[in-house]
Amino acid sequence: MRGFYIVGGYPDRQQFKKCLRLIAESGFEFVEIGIPFSEPVADGPVIASAIHEAVMNGVDIDAIMADVREMKAEFPAIRAIVMTYANIIHGYGEKRFSDDFADILSGVIIPDLPTRMHYWMTEKGLEIPIVPFVTPVSRDEDIELISGTQAPFVYYISIMGVTGSDKKKRADNRPEKAAKLTGKTVVTGFGIKTPEDAAKALSATGGYIIGTEAVRRQKDFREFSEYIKQFA
Amino acid sequence: MDSKMFFGQYGGQFVPETLIPALDELETWYNKLKYDRKFNDELNALLTSYAGRPTPVYKAENLSKDLGCELYLKREDLMHTGAHKVNNTLGQALVTKYMGKKRVIAETGAGQHGVATATAAALFGMECTVFMGEVDARRQEPNVKRMQLLGAEVVRVQDGQRTLKDATNAALREWVASVETTHYIIGSIVGPYPFPEMVAYFQSVIGKEAKVQCRELGFDPDCVVACVGGGSNAIGIFQGFLDNKKVDIYGVEAGGVSDKDGEHARTIGMGKPGILHGAFSYLVQTPQYQVADVHSISAGLDYPGIGPVHAMLNDSGRVTYGYVRDDEALNAFQTLTRKEGIIPALESSHALAYVIENKEIFKGKKVLVNLSGRGDKDMEAILARGLV
Ligand SMILES: Cc1ncc(COP(=O)(O)O)c(C=O)c1O
Repeated sequence: MRGFYIVGGYPDRQQFKKCLRLIAESGFEFVEIGIPFSEPVADGPVIASAIHEAVMNGVDIDAIMADVREMKAEFPAIRAIVMTYANIIHGYGEKRFSDDFADILSGVIIPDLPTRMHYWMTEKGLEIPIVPFVTPVSRDEDIELISGTQAPFVYYISIMGVTGSDKKKRADNRPEKAAKLTGKTVVTGFGIKTPEDAAKALSATGGYIIGTEAVRRQKDFREFSEYIKQFA
Repeated sequence: MDSKMFFGQYGGQFVPETLIPALDELETWYNKLKYDRKFNDELNALLTSYAGRPTPVYKAENLSKDLGCELYLKREDLMHTGAHKVNNTLGQALVTKYMGKKRVIAETGAGQHGVATATAAALFGMECTVFMGEVDARRQEPNVKRMQLLGAEVVRVQDGQRTLKDATNAALREWVASVETTHYIIGSIVGPYPFPEMVAYFQSVIGKEAKVQCRELGFDPDCVVACVGGGSNAIGIFQGFLDNKKVDIYGVEAGGVSDKDGEHARTIGMGKPGILHGAFSYLVQTPQYQVADVHSISAGLDYPGIGPVHAMLNDSGRVTYGYVRDDEALNAFQTLTRKEGIIPALESSHALAYVIENKEIFKGKKVLVNLSGRGDKDMEAILARGLV
């Protein structure tokens, strides 16, 4: 499973739509759409500054989701996943978010909602599957908590740090454990830059997600498309 | 599920998954050390011989006359490093030592928590990095220098509004990257469980002392008043009196310049429940669920969130949360300085200002105000206002 993360509505609506469409038409299995939140605590400088810029220009959730809907109508095979912070979904309303978008979203990624807190949103009516995280410090007990996940994949954070940091990955059997336990593909995120990194992750865990390097190019469509096409 | 993480409906652990094992480890250690004789003896020895506890309760006679009440001040301003913050940093640094970690990080707004953390780190021989928003670093430059003198690295945060909330984001990011070797000494009763509970515990010494001291003077106060940023000094003193229903308790938020967007930091007064920095609590937000810009003349109150315990105490009605504006705080600052010869922190001036501005409510009553810190750090801001 291969996918890219881009920031919703950034740098403007037209450009975001073009980037979104490009990922979809290039045949990747999923696309992760960020709804910007003013306090991106799990994000490093590149994504955080894109998010700050988007927030300054005003975040329009309805517009972002309308664009996702339009893209899905044309490319129904690609899975769309929203990545946003807990306050956005809680503020919008867990139930309302599900009612409005469950038909076009395969999952939500909420970086400040650890597995043990998933219930807090599901009991408030969030029906879209929450993608669970496995990290380099997850204990067996943490991984066991995700066994029943309905999400399309498990998100493996391969480094200690925020998005975009280039710390060394460690050898680790956690992705294997998680895959066995859940029967889901494990997607490696954080720190993947080149087609070589991507190929490695694909064979190691079965999937990857590229965020920082895509967002870094989101302002310049030519650069963006050249970058994305290397992975197609 | 885990109701221990919640205060009423508020609190929780809204943090990246990477931090979960460290929060569990911290919870285990905290629960163990809280009842550990050796730990408590060590902490109490530090609080007394090193940091200056107990702090006195002082009757402000001159101001009492002017206000028509009996005004008592709990003198946390006399604590080592200038504020109540050191109660917490010594406690958490000691926990860090027991956990075997050798590095601490902290966020700071006014710089008081940063200085108190750098101080504890120097004392314990720990490495220390403090995150401070660029705007705050500029308005509290002496505290930046103080932290550096104490051996801490100060990172000036350039994100967002470049104040306390942004410094906290930066500290959380750094913690995610270094959690295996580093403890995050959070500066108020905010953050994910167990921080709100642990910080409240370390600050409870203020209220326990104050209650006994008032009794020794022959009374229970009618009213207790404290300023509320994240809420640590307030919960510290409140804990001495929450179970005594005869005591009216007031928390004072920073009203800034006006109720217009971006001109105040009235988290409870103007916010609604939301999620920031690991906890569900009141939050000043935009209609699109973004955290809103806030303003206060005092860097320590310039924060859009508040500890989850205060959210609960507000909803239950046990504590009344009010506010005063920048100018009223400045007036209180001047009044205390001139009438009593005590230069308070701008944060603490908010608590006092509430009593001055609402003197009808307090008339004839015994009022205990938590003077959470002293005003040395605020000289520049004060001078910029042309007060001398
Ligand atoms: C003197 C003083 N009082 C109060 C505060 C506000 O924090 P809290 O609400 O946690 O007591 C600060 C924070 O920097 C402070 O320095």
